[in-house]
Amino acid sequence: MRTPEPGPMTSPDIAKTSLVVFLALVVQYALLDNVRVDGAHPEIMFLLAAAAGYVGGSERGASVGFVIGLVSDLFLPTTFGLSALVCCVLAYTTGAATAGLVRSSRGIAVVVLTLAEATGLALFAVLAAVLGLTGALRDSLVPALVVTVPASVVLSLPILVLVRWAVPPALPPAATPPPAGLGR
Amino acid sequence: MPSSRRSRRARRPRLTIFLLVLASITIITLDYRGDARGAISGLRRVAHDAFAPVQSAVDDVVRPAGSFLGGALHAGAIEQQNTELRAENGLLRRQALQAGSDVQTLHALEQLESLPWAAAIPSDQSIPTIAGEVVAFNSSDFAATVQLDVGRNQGVDVGMPVVGGAGLIGSVIEAWSSGCTVRLVTDASSAVGVRYGQPGNYALLDGAGSGRSLVLEDVAPGTPMRRGEVLSTSGLEGALFPPGIPVAKVTSYSSTPSSVEESVSAQPVADMAGLQYVAVMEWEPSTTEPSP
Repeated sequence: MRTPEPGPMTSPDIAKTSLVVFLALVVQYALLDNVRVDGAHPEIMFLLAAAAGYVGGSERGASVGFVIGLVSDLFLPTTFGLSALVCCVLAYTTGAATAGLVRSSRGIAVVVLTLAEATGLALFAVLAAVLGLTGALRDSLVPALVVTVPASVVLSLPILVLVRWAVPPALPPAATPPPAGLGR
Repeated sequence: MPSSRRSRRARRPRLTIFLLVLASITIITLDYRGDARGAISGLRRVAHDAFAPVQSAVDDVVRPAGSFLGGALHAGAIEQQNTELRAENGLLRRQALQAGSDVQTLHALEQLESLPWAAAIPSDQSIPTIAGEVVAFNSSDFAATVQLDVGRNQGVDVGMPVVGGAGLIGSVIEAWSSGCTVRLVTDASSAVGVRYGQPGNYALLDGAGSGRSLVLEDVAPGTPMRRGEVLSTSGLEGALFPPGIPVAKVTSYSSTPSSVEESVSAQPVADMAGLQYVAVMEWEPSTTEPSP
């Protein structure tokens, strides 16, 4: 099922989204970066992008995800634009794949976001390896997944609450105009 | 008419993702080729400068609590470590005196052999340093980096070597007003030219990611090697580091009859997991060509 897409984000929406991204940056780079297990640490920027796709739908999610990724890239030592690419694809895919899901179940949201986070990490590792970061797939991916997946299970719901506050939701399927002829 | 509007609406998300992916790939290409490195470094500097006060404020709040809890949990181990460090400190002082004498001898030998670049190499003992504290570890799970609390305001610049504890820990890859990012020698994209064993033995020491052993490349099979052997920066012409800084110790080596090079693993001499205070060396690679 295709995600119904609402109109453009309003100024208050953009302000709230910026605030959430800033908050996520603070949590990521001032707190989570120092929680290290086997050289890896929990990661919430991919989770945030996936949540934007889950709440805002594929198109809006992709745009918000792109911005989240670009902001992340400013603080990462890896190739600039890599997180932007991963975040926008991740948000788009999450939005498109969950368009027909019932959003009231918290369990489904946690599973979807954790899966998206793991997929995002794997995609990032593959692209980093393609760009010459040889150890990304061989050495770094497994520890990153081992640390990030449990952290995602814990952090998914708080992030979803924040994203729901900031990003306007995609219109529910029932709100889409019926195809010509069916409404008569 | 309505059906064409619906079809346009259906195409819009695909057009959006196509444009965003295209934009991302363009940015990646520009950075990868180095065409926009100046602009990107500038953006990163501005972002770090803007974010540094927030990070510092959060760190001030979080660190005492973390240190208190860590200290309470590991009080016994810390006391034991303190005793060991005192003993090690005495040993290191003696070794430093010995190393200083070795460096002088090596320089004298190199000059005797009339190596064209020998006179141009500075002694690492005389290079001024800027002391800094590690304030954050790995900002990415796919890169081994640390962030220091000293930056351009203190004289730190991109490319400067960083030493800590027993030896080299890496080099500065990004510097802003009040901080810098250091790529550790354990990072998968790090490569340090080192010397080992007999004079004239040079190799490349590659990182393999946080917590993993370093790999010594280009060592011919059967080259005499021993466990615990110290690998020091080569300081060859154009090297990224000054000569004679210990980088790692050999932990294992092996070769098969069919192999074209010895398989050598090494551990950094500096404790990468326990880094706290380090020194940035105010040193830049020499760009002068060796005289004929």
